[in-house]
Amino acid sequence: MKNYLLLAALVIAFNINAQDGTFSGGLESNSQWYQDDDGILNGVAPQDQFRSNNYLKIQYTQGKFTVGAQYELYQPSPLLGYFEGFEGNGIATYFATFKHKDLEITAGNFYDQFGSGLIFRTWEDHTLGIDNSIRGIRVNYAFNDYLEATGFIGNQRTGFELSEGTVQGINSEFDLGELLDTETGINIGASYVGRYQVNTSADPDFPSTVNAYSMRGDLYFDKFNLQAEYVYKEPDAVIVGGTPLLGNYFDGRALLLNLGYSIPGLGINTTLRATENMGFFSDREQAGNPFLNQTINFVPGYTKQSSYMVRNIYVYNPQVFLNPDEEEAGEIGGQLDVVHTAKPGSLFGFKHGTTYSLNYSNWAGLDSSFDVPNNDYDASLFSRGKKYFEEFSFQLNTKFSKALSAKFTAAQTYYNAKNIEGGNLLDGQSELNGTAFVADLLYDLGKGRSVRFDAQHLSADADRGNWAAATLEYAFNTSLSLYVADLYNYDDTEIHYYSVGGSYTKGRTRVALNYGRQRGGLICVGGVCRFVPENTGLTLNLTTNF
Amino acid sequence: MKKLILLALLIFSSISYSQTELPEIILKDLNGKKVTLSELSKDKPVVFSFWATWCTPCMKELDAIKLDYNELQEEIGFELYAIATDDARSKPRVKTEVNGRAWPYTVLLDKKNEIIRYLGNPNIPLTLIVKDNKIVYRHSSFTPGAEEELYEEYKKHI
Repeated sequence: MKNYLLLAALVIAFNINAQDGTFSGGLESNSQWYQDDDGILNGVAPQDQFRSNNYLKIQYTQGKFTVGAQYELYQPSPLLGYFEGFEGNGIATYFATFKHKDLEITAGNFYDQFGSGLIFRTWEDHTLGIDNSIRGIRVNYAFNDYLEATGFIGNQRTGFELSEGTVQGINSEFDLGELLDTETGINIGASYVGRYQVNTSADPDFPSTVNAYSMRGDLYFDKFNLQAEYVYKEPDAVIVGGTPLLGNYFDGRALLLNLGYSIPGLGINTTLRATENMGFFSDREQAGNPFLNQTINFVPGYTKQSSYMVRNIYVYNPQVFLNPDEEEAGEIGGQLDVVHTAKPGSLFGFKHGTTYSLNYSNWAGLDSSFDVPNNDYDASLFSRGKKYFEEFSFQLNTKFSKALSAKFTAAQTYYNAKNIEGGNLLDGQSELNGTAFVADLLYDLGKGRSVRFDAQHLSADADRGNWAAATLEYAFNTSLSLYVADLYNYDDTEIHYYSVGGSYTKGRTRVALNYGRQRGGLICVGGVCRFVPENTGLTLNLTTNF
Repeated sequence: MKKLILLALLIFSSISYSQTELPEIILKDLNGKKVTLSELSKDKPVVFSFWATWCTPCMKELDAIKLDYNELQEEIGFELYAIATDDARSKPRVKTEVNGRAWPYTVLLDKKNEIIRYLGNPNIPLTLIVKDNKIVYRHSSFTPGAEEELYEEYKKHI
């Protein structure tokens, strides 16, 4: 109630002042009504059958000041697969920012990222249920056109509370290209991030403070671009089953390289990354938690993302934590990406032009040896052990006529469940090879009307075997569309994961209604994954911005 | 839930959908050069299209506009900035896709999602027409034909 009054007061205050300043914000509501369903793997609806996640954000800017708050309500409990700590309601985040010329000061919750995020990133993603913003003070100052620095201190959000650990950081960005006034872009950055958490163990050498340092450089030279980043993290305790192990403490490191070449019509990019013991959490005992709660850094999986159902069953989830149970110390790997557009009328462009995309990714564990009884291990950052994941995918995007366009996808995947999921597949196998094909056709009927159809197939040599899927989508105009879809595991369980729904979008508002079955598994956004249990139900999503 | 609805009503009733002004933000282009957002729309309408390499409808939208772009530029001075919201995971792919698809647009990176957050975390694709740093038209989602509506809307603000 207190929160509610506070928010109402804020709204009224905004209204009084709204003539001079700018007001913005958004409301997002995601609700599901879970149903019992004997037809799926675990078809008992949860205790709270109706669940709803709601976010209301308001923000007001006047001159040099911006203030804002986000009210969240998870009633009666969060959607399945979300962190239980979200239960309830209240003002989850709030901030006030002062910005004048080259100085910016924020008090309250803030989001930021140093470099690629390998050392530090706070962000918010409602689909994943992640909000690891820090509540504290953040100051950013641009000394001139080529040098700026940021400093912060605070505590990360965990549910509606704050983390026990304190996080602080300093970042500097140096734009050498600007200073030398060259066409070549040269950016250099250096960062420090430290975490302090009270030592409650008996060991006086137990690390309560863990500092991490990073250096990076970005070079943009004509058709080439090169990025390199190195992070070193001081020794921290290994966490097994939520408890820190005493005696030996291990440091972590990571190297990220990216090299790209592109000219109009052709883009090539390779990303390589090696990581050892790169879990970094505000609360050390939260290391490796499935919700990425209190994570300080961001270590995404570099693989190709796809929106097709059969392409999302076996996805890579990065394995960067030290895990003595599974004898994992980190990972090494990379991906190659090529995109080429052949001009209309050319040999490979056909009549209307064709875009080809190719992606190859390969990830393996570091070659490491563990001495579990003595809490010790040995590994090298530049070594390859067991293969975790490998994928080759090819995509062709073309037009048969002005109205009919098509996209064809083929992918070959190797998936090591033992390391990625930490256990065997349903049929007892630990590895899987899969081949997927997708044909996706889009027909433009004019005046905003269009029809889309896709047919998908995955043949797999383990787990639940082969899958087939199809989607039919019809857009009545640019605002309203309806769809039916089915994902069918015809080889083994003979379960149809059907769904039907529609969405209406107008200006600032979108409403989507959907009924169907959700296959249990990982939902991944931006290379970060959340596990969702198998379920059936009616879903309503509403978003509006103002 | 009831509280939330009440609150939403309270807000909606009081805000007559005023034109939202964009914040003073500097973004970097694909060559690491700084671009001040507010300077792009001085005295003229421009389109900001928020996209990401993993967003299929976004790619479709920008591929569709590409076909008309040169003609529109000559006829009505149509100008579009494609603002990539990709995070560190897919950011390396931005330049590959942009050049690989031969897009004629200037591409900017909103890698910390500063603008997207300011706009209330809307779904992408999000297409804005902005004039003098104020949003005059807003549309999210893409199905074929939406680009024609965008052109018509753009002409109203020249």
